[in-house]
Amino acid sequence: MKGNLLLLPASVWFALLLVIPLLIIVEYSLGKRGVIDPVHFTWSHLRFANYKDALDPDRLPIFVRSIEYAAISTFACVLLGFPLAYWIARFGGRFRNVYLVLVVIPFLTSYLIRIYAWQVILQDNGLLNRLSGDLGLGSHHVFLNHAFAVNLGLTYGFLPFMILPLYASIERMDVALVEASYDLGHGKISTFFRVILPTVSPGLVAGVLLVFIPAVGDFVTPSLLGGVRTQMIGSTIADQFGGSQNWPLGSAMSVLLMLFILAGVFVYLRRVGEEAL
Amino acid sequence: MSDPDRVSLAFIWDTASPHFSRRAFMKTMAFASAAGFVAACGGSSKGGTTSAGGSTTPPTFDPKPEAKTLNFYNWTDYIATDTIPNFQKDTGIKVTYDNYSSNDELFAKMRTGGSGFDIIVPTDATLVKMKHAGLVQPLDLSLIPNVKNLDPRFRTAAYDPGNQYSIPWQWGTTGIGFDKTKVGGAVTDWDAFNLPAVSGKSSYLDEARDAFAMALFALKKDPNTLDSGDLDAAEQYLIDLKKKIQKITSDYQDPLKSGQLVMAQAYSGDVFTIQADNAKIEYIIPKSGALSWVDSMAIPKGAAHPKNAEAFMNYILDPKVGAALTNFVNYGSPNKAAEPYINKDILSNPLIYPSPAELAKLPFQKDLGEDELAYSDRWDKVKTA
Repeated sequence: MKGNLLLLPASVWFALLLVIPLLIIVEYSLGKRGVIDPVHFTWSHLRFANYKDALDPDRLPIFVRSIEYAAISTFACVLLGFPLAYWIARFGGRFRNVYLVLVVIPFLTSYLIRIYAWQVILQDNGLLNRLSGDLGLGSHHVFLNHAFAVNLGLTYGFLPFMILPLYASIERMDVALVEASYDLGHGKISTFFRVILPTVSPGLVAGVLLVFIPAVGDFVTPSLLGGVRTQMIGSTIADQFGGSQNWPLGSAMSVLLMLFILAGVFVYLRRVGEEAL
Repeated sequence: MSDPDRVSLAFIWDTASPHFSRRAFMKTMAFASAAGFVAACGGSSKGGTTSAGGSTTPPTFDPKPEAKTLNFYNWTDYIATDTIPNFQKDTGIKVTYDNYSSNDELFAKMRTGGSGFDIIVPTDATLVKMKHAGLVQPLDLSLIPNVKNLDPRFRTAAYDPGNQYSIPWQWGTTGIGFDKTKVGGAVTDWDAFNLPAVSGKSSYLDEARDAFAMALFALKKDPNTLDSGDLDAAEQYLIDLKKKIQKITSDYQDPLKSGQLVMAQAYSGDVFTIQADNAKIEYIIPKSGALSWVDSMAIPKGAAHPKNAEAFMNYILDPKVGAALTNFVNYGSPNKAAEPYINKDILSNPLIYPSPAELAKLPFQKDLGEDELAYSDRWDKVKTA
């Protein structure tokens, strides 16, 4: 009983800042929109039509694009993050913590400022184009406000969330397993897929979830690095609370997105195995 | 620090000291001075010309006179250097001046309440929203006799007819900003977005009413229409135009300056500011018409010094004060009586002072109340397309 008291601060925190706001979103999603009062909610007139509107097939391309961008950036994070995490864990030596701090250091600067910095790097006469011009690769590439910039921004922004759990898993891995695999005649590739990957899968699963989930719903990155053809579902939801003046629809879309992601996570964990976490 | 002081300070940390009461007293003193220091910081952090007696709560009841202070919240770089000092000299009212840089920022601050400001300067569309949300209070025009100096256009404007809630500060238009060296053609009207050199290098505003006004002007329709046929045509216009632009954004200033965008639907004042850094950037008021915008002084509901605020509004409407303001910030003045004192190069600039014939094509955005949803819904379709 005494030990349960330890749960109190977190319970209060979650109740106030997670459960109650979630219930408010659900309430809003069943209300009627307005200009002067953004939401009119009455128990007698629950408007489930908001959910029907949220599933409007016109929005499907935006939704598919969000999944696509999130998948691309998650994959890129694995490709970039795995070797780095592996190197830090296995070969970082006594500087391991220094390297980890370096991974985390970007968080000391506001994400907005870092994304504005990317705008400067990626713009038509920006750093990247000048560099590519100096290398003789042409200086008139279009990066900013196109899909490339959004995927790059998402990958950049969420990479540390991939590296940290991967590092934790790899660091715990017994190196003797790898050596045993070599001794028993497995090559490098076979050892990677049959020994290393299964051993570090808890970190990989956690990393994939930590990158994919926020990437699907992100709206800052596509608004600042994207253009007319890179709208993501997060921006569409944000629009409902802005120019589209439809808080109930925005809330319904948020609820559906949440349910969809929860279902996706459930299926994913079933497939890769819950024990992996 | 003198010796006795050092001795008494030492007692604060000496719990075994017989001077207990004295120690407690010193602790209280230390706390009080710390509180005073914090209060002083809070006062001076407001920036600009800070009021002296910041910690006293001013009386808010009518019978008592208001404290001689005024908390003014205005856009950045939007005032003449002598506007506030002269007001302080004339009236003895101390002005605390603080700045914001977007209507959203202002609105958010007002919605959370308790900001302590007595005058704010929202743009017309935001003023309308604040009016509906009950965030601003009606003015006592009997305390603002200079309201007669206003251009009649600003006394009857659709966003606040009769100046019940607001006194205009400066005004401008929502037209086209562009880089004259890169557009590859003459820019005179909204169809300039079709210039081949501009393709994929332009933007329109991420504001439903502003974007629709552009489409409606281009289609020679009323920019405040509620006719669903006209609105559908405007929606289609924006969807088609979306294929030719780079971005829907209200954040076009830096991209226009750097060359990332060569053309943008833009607010006149922003473009004049960019022009100061990049002379290649120009602004035009499109031939078929454009919306006017106006930033207006208003009093937040529950403000502590409404009479001082009204005195300030009356002061701004003085012909010479209004002219000095416009001469400094280079926007249009709503103050008709100020015109004799305004610099000739401002008065003769048709982009700041359009001819009467052009003025007729520069209406204000109208408050449509709940009917605005007709725009919001179509805007959602444009953004989704």
